[in-house]
Amino acid sequence: MSTNHIVENLKREIENFSAQIKAEKVGKVLELFDGIAKVSGLSDIKSSEMVTFPNGETGVALNLEEDAVGVIILGDFSKIKEGDAVKATGRILEIPVSDAILGRAVNAIGIPIDGKGAIKAEKTYPIEKVAPGVVTRLSVSEPVATGIKVIDAIIPVGRGQRELIIGDRQTGKTALAIDAILNQKGQNMICVYVSIGQKDSKLRKIEARLEEGGAMKYTVIVSAGASEAASLAYIAPYTGVSIAEYFMDQGKDVLIIYDDLSKHAVAYREISLLLRRPPGREAYPGDVFYLHSRLLERACRRNEKYGGGSITAFPIIETQAGDISAYIPTNVISITDGQIFLETDLFYKGIRPAVNVGSSVSRVGSSAQIKAMKKVAGTLKLDLAQFRELEAFAQFGSDLDEATKNQLERGKRAVEVLKQLQYAPVKTEHQVVTLYALTKGFMDDVALDKIKEFENGLMEYSEHNAKVFYKQIIDKKMWDDKGEEELKKVIKDFKNTFK
Amino acid sequence: MAIISNHNVAQAIYLSLKDKPESEQPAFFKNVVRFLARRRLLSKAPDILERLNKIINDDQGKISVKVSSVEKINESAKKEITHNLAKHYGGKTVILEENLNNKLIGGYKIEVNDEVIDFSIKNRIEKLQAYLTNDK
Repeated sequence: MSTNHIVENLKREIENFSAQIKAEKVGKVLELFDGIAKVSGLSDIKSSEMVTFPNGETGVALNLEEDAVGVIILGDFSKIKEGDAVKATGRILEIPVSDAILGRAVNAIGIPIDGKGAIKAEKTYPIEKVAPGVVTRLSVSEPVATGIKVIDAIIPVGRGQRELIIGDRQTGKTALAIDAILNQKGQNMICVYVSIGQKDSKLRKIEARLEEGGAMKYTVIVSAGASEAASLAYIAPYTGVSIAEYFMDQGKDVLIIYDDLSKHAVAYREISLLLRRPPGREAYPGDVFYLHSRLLERACRRNEKYGGGSITAFPIIETQAGDISAYIPTNVISITDGQIFLETDLFYKGIRPAVNVGSSVSRVGSSAQIKAMKKVAGTLKLDLAQFRELEAFAQFGSDLDEATKNQLERGKRAVEVLKQLQYAPVKTEHQVVTLYALTKGFMDDVALDKIKEFENGLMEYSEHNAKVFYKQIIDKKMWDDKGEEELKKVIKDFKNTFK
Repeated sequence: MAIISNHNVAQAIYLSLKDKPESEQPAFFKNVVRFLARRRLLSKAPDILERLNKIINDDQGKISVKVSSVEKINESAKKEITHNLAKHYGGKTVILEENLNNKLIGGYKIEVNDEVIDFSIKNRIEKLQAYLTNDK
């Protein structure tokens, strides 16, 4: 473009420009501390209305008092001075959304942070919205394939469900969520990963991992890092779910991960205390339950009449020393439709993912499980529970009858089969084959340390040789007698070649 | 007990002052100052006074308007501003307070309570800047 052309363009733009001067509500900064400003004036302001500061930063009015307004500042507050003019915008806090946001990383107010340039926004969505009502909803009936055997088999998750991932630090909570994202390739699912108060290095690693697995194409990352203001950490999950709603409104299925809501609650506690709201249990404000319930209620499955689509939520909660009876964990457990409980002990025993099958539940997911999976995994949970009990009992003596010994051996193999490496999601068909082989006793005479090898070999072998069975699982979600016969034969053939 | 805001204090002062004959006012003001001192509210006195002023104006149907401009505004413009503001705010008496401000470059800026109507060149240039730099 020549210089003349640019000048011409500018001239035209300027000629077309007309400044609309309106009466604006303006207040003054009275006090400023740690990302919170107390502002005088601003009469008629709405709750969670956006305000602008002279340096271009935005804020949100949270506390409306008789003669002042408590504003949280979204961004850098170091340049704001006492006495600065604060303008009300008349708009509730909103973020720009568009299809171009896929594959990008944005901050809590929807501004890209990945250095790939601006995102052309088509629309804006308010970040606070009332959750869809009863008439617009549909019960959960379609599965989310996480690719993690223990989850898909025992704690199945359906589209539109809210399944909590809870556990101590370093037990693989994030890994579980990332695996679930990686497995959504080709499953018609958009993923939103909301990182709240995480280290930027961790986020970078996750992004690189998703990029490597080809998952960024259908994923959006919303980040409010550990170095950013608490106000941003507070709004980040709402921003994430607004982006998810944008896609759901197009009838798409969305998976959203909040990593993690304990830090979100801490950020909200910080803001609340600075705004001088009265502290309650563990110094959290009284509305900390509502903080999470209104967020998680926005996960839903909508019926066709109202446009279809779903939002499945995986909130993550970090516990301290396995204490799930602390304030925030109990709150979120009661809001969600089940939890996946990860344990440090299991993790160090080498059982990874370290899911405690006994304490983990999925309250609605089983209706979403495919028939074939239901059939093979039906008794698995009970079997594992019995195994745990027997295992503890068997430690006291070696005189066990044959049936008990068999049960123990089967249990050991089940534990072994449910172990899974990180970043290695398994397809549903493969899971069905493996669990079929396990529950029908085909693995009973395979040495324990060869189970993984056997499993991997079987998956590969059966995919090429049990074509009818695979086709039935993919198309009809269930096998018939013909398919079962074929699979049995294939497993026997494979066993003969396996040493 | 609810916290007493400056607005409450101003309102209380106004209500008790309203029916007092002029002869009693000096004694009343002394009392007010004593009250403020006892309640440790003297540091808030400027704000309370400002609020008191607003309450009195509201009650008497007046609005105080601050007009800032680079040069002194001429009489006809002043009249027009007064007329239009009176119309806009429902026929109240307008008290103009003039203020010179070089930073506005040109035009003028009207402030009524917490409402600002900014006709200054500075504001227009800022709006143009936002318009031109905005990614559409």
